[in-house]
Amino acid sequence: MSRDKVLPDKLERRRFLASAGAAVGVGVAGAALAPVRAVAATHVPRKWDDTVDVIVIGTGFAGLSAAVEARTAGAQVLVLEKMAVHGGNSIINGGDFAAAGTAEQAALGIQDTPDLMLADMLKAGGSLNHPDLARMVAYGSKDALEWTQQVIGAKYVRVNFHGGHSVKRSHQCVNGSGGELVNKLLAKAQSLGARIEMRTKVLRLVRGEDGRLEGLEVRRGYLFPNESSGEVAYIRARRGVVLASGGFSQDVRLRQVHDPRLVEKFESTNHPGATGEVLLAACQVGAMDVQMDWIQLGPWTSPDEPGFGQTPQFCERLVGYGLMVDPKSGKRFFKETGNRKERADAIIRLGHPAVIIGDAEAVARTVLPKTLEKAIEYGAVRKFETLDELARAYEMPVEAFREQVARWNGFVEKKKDDDLDCMIFKDATTTAKAPYYAARLWPRVHHTMGGLVIDRDARVIGFDFQPIAGLYACGEVAGGVHGAVRLGSVAMTDCVVFGRIAGRNAAQHVAAT
Amino acid sequence: MIKHTARALLAVALLCAAGLATAEAPTRVASAKAGDCVACHKDATVLPAKHKATRDMDWAACSKCHEPGTGDSLAGKLPSSHMHALADVGCESCHGKTKKPRPASRTQCVTCHAIDKVVAATAEVKPENPHVSPHWGNEMECTACHVQHAKPVNYCAHCHDFDFKLP
Repeated sequence: MSRDKVLPDKLERRRFLASAGAAVGVGVAGAALAPVRAVAATHVPRKWDDTVDVIVIGTGFAGLSAAVEARTAGAQVLVLEKMAVHGGNSIINGGDFAAAGTAEQAALGIQDTPDLMLADMLKAGGSLNHPDLARMVAYGSKDALEWTQQVIGAKYVRVNFHGGHSVKRSHQCVNGSGGELVNKLLAKAQSLGARIEMRTKVLRLVRGEDGRLEGLEVRRGYLFPNESSGEVAYIRARRGVVLASGGFSQDVRLRQVHDPRLVEKFESTNHPGATGEVLLAACQVGAMDVQMDWIQLGPWTSPDEPGFGQTPQFCERLVGYGLMVDPKSGKRFFKETGNRKERADAIIRLGHPAVIIGDAEAVARTVLPKTLEKAIEYGAVRKFETLDELARAYEMPVEAFREQVARWNGFVEKKKDDDLDCMIFKDATTTAKAPYYAARLWPRVHHTMGGLVIDRDARVIGFDFQPIAGLYACGEVAGGVHGAVRLGSVAMTDCVVFGRIAGRNAAQHVAAT
Repeated sequence: MIKHTARALLAVALLCAAGLATAEAPTRVASAKAGDCVACHKDATVLPAKHKATRDMDWAACSKCHEPGTGDSLAGKLPSSHMHALADVGCESCHGKTKKPRPASRTQCVTCHAIDKVVAATAEVKPENPHVSPHWGNEMECTACHVQHAKPVNYCAHCHDFDFKLP
């Protein structure tokens, strides 16, 4: 995607705050030692086309949670979305919400605590997570889930496992899609009076003389991906701007800056608009970025269907119940319940797709019937009457595969994997009952852990270690929460926890005069 | 490989659609009759060489040969905005009276195309009904796919192997 051009001078004049000492706000921890230098003000338009209290950028979980909270706090709210459709990645996600210590878990006898969730996040994240932010997510998870149920009306039907978690804590939306929560958040935001403006793309953030984030330069009537469509307009935010614009998995140029291995041939699970221009626009006005090179590939996508598809909801349900093998050897090669990064790296090391297998018993127990039906219909999951038939279909050495299944079944019986230390669930049964189901797995770019530096109040921190007054970020555009690896189903939690904080704080930010 | 090629083609189609919508698009002459191709397209060849004169045709006249639902249908061959114009649904019907028209949205579309009827009409489309999904229910923005002033886009194909043919 091409970047936005810096815009020409229909604008007043360049106004800089060059002088040292014109400090903004109160420093974050450690800032006292840093030299305090105000960031340059940007072109401030002579006239604003529109003025509201709070502008939210993005209509995913984070943006809409922010909109609902900002509106609830009494602010006039305008939500901008560059695409023709709302929801970003949130509306095409699998709808699993990680939360610890919930009523749903208790009913199933699952013992879980925020501390355990935090420990899982830090372990997967290689402790690169900003611990205070990760803690906010783990400790806020139950409250966030309950808010989506009680205030927003979202429905969850089961508690799933995702690789890298110690227990089942991923609460699955009733329709197996994030659409359940996004659409109810949107309806709530609208019923509260938030204005949603589609096809409006952010070109530039505007900081005023005092360093405060004053507003935005946008393109209204933008027809993705035509960068010259629509008309330029300026929108002022009296109180604050919330960036909830998502990650940059579809931005091949930007992701290659940070990880040159992620060339175009690595496809992405993301919606086509998951590009990084808002993140970069924030950096251009002095926002600091963090851990941009930690880009996650999902190990559960299939080369036999495009995008995210059905396979992740087949594969992720089966780990801990079924086995994953290298078709070349017919043998297991990596811990099925490992985290996303470990597993994606292991498959890439193979150099060809892996195969995940479940028998009739495991599949019936874990995979939603509709998911299975669709996955088979689309050709991503295949069904076999015998293990030999399955092995031959993937050109595996039949004998070696048969032995591997027998070995796996031995581990299942004693609930302990001596080879790869896969977590095997108590209710797991041996892979022995026909029909057998299998899917090929090849990773796709899924989540960008890096992003803007934020503090516990979702305030965006600048390169001078000061919060940029009036600027907030939440969801995938913010970085640091997940460190090296985001665990599956923690994105929903992250978005709702920090989206709510960002919305509330933006609404309460001291109004500009 | 075939899928990759199809997706590459989709990407090219998207880019072309984007291009058509702007620089290469002919200047619209609002006063021109809908069937008067040359009024806007000038010398550009937009019809086959021996096509009947269309200047005075409306949608009903076009449909006599290009019967909807058959292989001769104009669906996907003619921008939907042209079909609208031929059926006497002009610029203002969707964009309102304005000198600076903004993209129309679903709100306008459903005033004529009742969503329940649209959903029912495509109920048998395989592998899924394109007008209802776990993502947007039956409220997906129409113009995400049914681009009016350029080629239509199969938006679902970004993540699904749905080979929808759409006007």
